[in-house]
Amino acid sequence: MAASNYEMSATDKKFIAWHMFVAVAALSIGALFGPLQAIEGVVPNLYDFLKPVIQSYYQGLTLHGVLNALIWTTFFITGFLTLTTIHGLQRPLKYPKLNYVGFGLMVAGLLIAAVPILLNQASVLYTFYPPLMASPLFYLGLTLVVVGSWVEGWGFYFTYNAWRKENPTARTPFVTFGGLITMVLWQFATIGIAAEILTQLLPWSLGLLPGVDPQFARTEFWFTGHPLVYFWLLPAYISWYGFLPKQVGGKLFSDSLARIAFWLFLVLSIPLGFHHQFVDPGVPPLWKFIHALLTYSVFFPSMMTAFTVIASLEYGARKNGGKGMLTWIRALPWKDPSVAAQLLAGILFFFGGIGGITNASYNINLVVHNTAWVPGHFHLTVASAVTLSFMGISYWLVPYLTGKKLWKPQWAVIQAWLWFVGMLIFSNGMHTLGLLGAPRRTPLGIAPYIPDAWNGRLLQNAFGGVILLVAAYLYIVILAVTAFNKNGEKATTQIPVAESIQDPAASPAWLDKWMPWLIATLLLVVIAYGPQLVAQISSIQLTSPGFPYK
Amino acid sequence: MAKNKPIKEEEFKPKGTAAVLAIFMVALIALWGYVYYLLVSRGATI
Amino acid sequence: MSGQANTRLHIDAYERNWMIISVVLLVVFVTAVSVAGFMMGINVPAPQNRVNPNTVAKEGPFSTPGLRELGGGKYEAYILAGNWKYDPKEMSVPVGSSVTFYITSSDVQHGFKLANLETGEATNLNVQVVPGQVSKLTIKLDKPGTYQYICTEYCGGAHPTMFGTLTVTP
Repeated sequence: MAASNYEMSATDKKFIAWHMFVAVAALSIGALFGPLQAIEGVVPNLYDFLKPVIQSYYQGLTLHGVLNALIWTTFFITGFLTLTTIHGLQRPLKYPKLNYVGFGLMVAGLLIAAVPILLNQASVLYTFYPPLMASPLFYLGLTLVVVGSWVEGWGFYFTYNAWRKENPTARTPFVTFGGLITMVLWQFATIGIAAEILTQLLPWSLGLLPGVDPQFARTEFWFTGHPLVYFWLLPAYISWYGFLPKQVGGKLFSDSLARIAFWLFLVLSIPLGFHHQFVDPGVPPLWKFIHALLTYSVFFPSMMTAFTVIASLEYGARKNGGKGMLTWIRALPWKDPSVAAQLLAGILFFFGGIGGITNASYNINLVVHNTAWVPGHFHLTVASAVTLSFMGISYWLVPYLTGKKLWKPQWAVIQAWLWFVGMLIFSNGMHTLGLLGAPRRTPLGIAPYIPDAWNGRLLQNAFGGVILLVAAYLYIVILAVTAFNKNGEKATTQIPVAESIQDPAASPAWLDKWMPWLIATLLLVVIAYGPQLVAQISSIQLTSPGFPYK
Repeated sequence: MAKNKPIKEEEFKPKGTAAVLAIFMVALIALWGYVYYLLVSRGATI
Repeated sequence: MSGQANTRLHIDAYERNWMIISVVLLVVFVTAVSVAGFMMGINVPAPQNRVNPNTVAKEGPFSTPGLRELGGGKYEAYILAGNWKYDPKEMSVPVGSSVTFYITSSDVQHGFKLANLETGEATNLNVQVVPGQVSKLTIKLDKPGTYQYICTEYCGGAHPTMFGTLTVTP
C-alpha cells in the first residue's frame, strides 16, 4: 500500500533539512573548482592568479573531490534515507538522539578535515593514496564523517526493528527497504577505508608508524571505493523506482524485480574492488580477472533497473496519451523540474553505464587507466545519474521540508537542461581526450608534452565546465530562495510514493528475508577477497615513509 | 507449488521500453567495441 | 508468512527477454576479453619481486636504471620513477624491438603510460607504479617515431612535468 498520508513532525523535517543544507553548502564550494580545472587547460597561468585564495590546482582538486564526491553525497544520502525510513514506515525515528549524534559526528568530521585542506596540508585528493601524506586531522575528520553516517544507520535499524515488532507480517515498504540495504552495504563496505585509515594512515601521519604498504593501502581503499559508488547510486535508484513513477502518473512496473535488484546490489557490490586495480603491480592477474567477472555480474541489476524504471515511466506516459515506439517519451511531464532532472540524469547514465562496462573489462583498462576518460566516466555517473537526480529530488523535497512552493519551477527545468548540456559537452571532451592519451589529475595547461591536437578538446571542456557552473549556481539559488525567502508562497507538498502494478504483498516472501542475502554477501566477499587479503597482509612491508608533497 | 492469487494486472506491454533499450544496446556494443578494437590494435603486453 | 512462502515470482516476458539478452551480452564481452588476454597476449601486470623503496636507488637493478640490450631485438628497460622524473628520461630503440619494462618508484605512487602523443598512436603500456612493487610489461615497438612516457598519477605539484622520451628509430 502506498504510504502517503503520514505527517512527519516539524522536528524531523528540520533534521532532514539540516542534512540538505550541509550537502548543498558543500556543493556550492566544491562546484567552484570544476570550472577552474576545466579552464586551466586553455588559460594555463590561471592558478598563479588564484594564489591568494587557493594555493594550487591540487588543493582545489582536493576540495572539489572531497566536497562533491564525499560530503555533498554523504549528507544528502543520510538525509534522504532518514526521510525514506520515517515516511516509508510511517513512524518517527526510534532513538532520534542517536541520529542527532550521528549527524553531529559527521559535521564535526567535516570541520576537522576542512582545516588542513584549507591550509594546504591535505592536498592529497579524495583518494588520498599514500605515501603522499596529509595532516592527521584530514584522516581523522574523514573517519568521523564515516562513523557518523554509521551511527545514523544504526538509528534507522532500531526504527525498522520497532516497526517490525508492530508489523510482524507486513512487507517492508519499498523506499525504506531500499534505504536499509543502502546503509547495510555502506557499513560493510567502509570497513576497507576504516582499516586503511585506522591501521595505517592515521598512526603513520601521527609518527607512530614508520612506514605504510602503499599497495595494500590501495587494496583497502578500493574494497570501499567500488561499493561507494553504489552507496551513491542506490538512493537515486530508490527515487527512480519508488517516487518517479508516481511523479509521471505511472506505477512501478515490478515491485519484485525492484527488490531483487537491490538484494543483488548488496551481494555483488563489494567483492570486485580489484577492477580499480587492474594495472596495479601487486595484485595477481587471476584475481583481477575474477573481479572483472564479478563486476560484469553487478552490471546485471543495473540492466534490470533500466528496464523496470523505463517501463514504469512508459506506463505513465501511455496513460497520459503517449503513443509510438519512442515518441511516448514526449508525453512524460517534462515541465516538472524534478521529473526533467531525473530523466536527463538517466540519459546521461546510459553513457556512464557504457563507460563503466568498458572500465570493468579487464585488459581494456590498459587503454583507459588514469586517462581523462576516467573522470569523463564518473562525471556521467556520480555527477549526473546521482547528482542530477539528487537535484531533482530536492525540487520536491525542499518544498516538502519547508512548506513552501518551489521558486521559479520553469528556471529549475532550465537548470536541469543546462546541467545536461554542460555535462554532455564536458564528458565527451574528457572521454575523447583520454583516448588521445591525456592523463587525469593533471593541469594540462602546464604539461610540457601536450600536443596541439588536444587544444580543441581542452576548449570544449572549458565550455562545458562554465555551463555546469551556471547550472550548479542556478540550482543553489532556486533552493535558497525557496527555503529562505520569508515572503515565499506557501504550499503543501505530498511525497510522491509510487504504487506498483502488482500488489507487493503478492511477491515472494523470501524477498523480505535478510539472513540469506547477508550470508551470501559475506561469503562472496570472503571468497573474492579472502585469499588476496591473506596474501597481501602476510607479505606486508611497511616501508614507505610519508611524503608531504603538495 | 501454490499458484498466484489472480491479480488484477493491467495489460501493458512495454514495447517502448524495448525500443529504448535496443538503442542502448546498439550504442553499448558500438562504443565498447571501439575501445576493444583500440586495445587489440595496440598489441600484446607479455 | 508461510502462507505466501510459495508465491511464484512473476517476470514480464519483455523483461525476461531483456535479462537474457543482458546475460548473453556479458558472456560475449567476457569471451572477447579472454581472447585478447589469454590468446593474443594482451594482459595486465603480474606481481614481481618486492623492492625496498628506500634503498632501491642504491642497490639492485634499479640502481643502474636504463636500457639493456639482450640481443635478437629484445631489450629490458629498468626505470626508476621519483622526485618528478623518470630515470632514464630518454631512451632509443630500433623499430621492431621488443622491450620489457620494469618500473618502480623511490618515493610516491606514479603512473607510466607510453604513447606517441603527437600522432595519437598509443601502446598498451599503461601501469600504476607503486613504491615497494615492480610493474612489468613487455611491448613490441613496430612503428617508428617519438613516444612519450608520462606520469598519470598525482604525485605532487610537479606531476604535470613528469615525462620521458622513447625514440623508436626506423
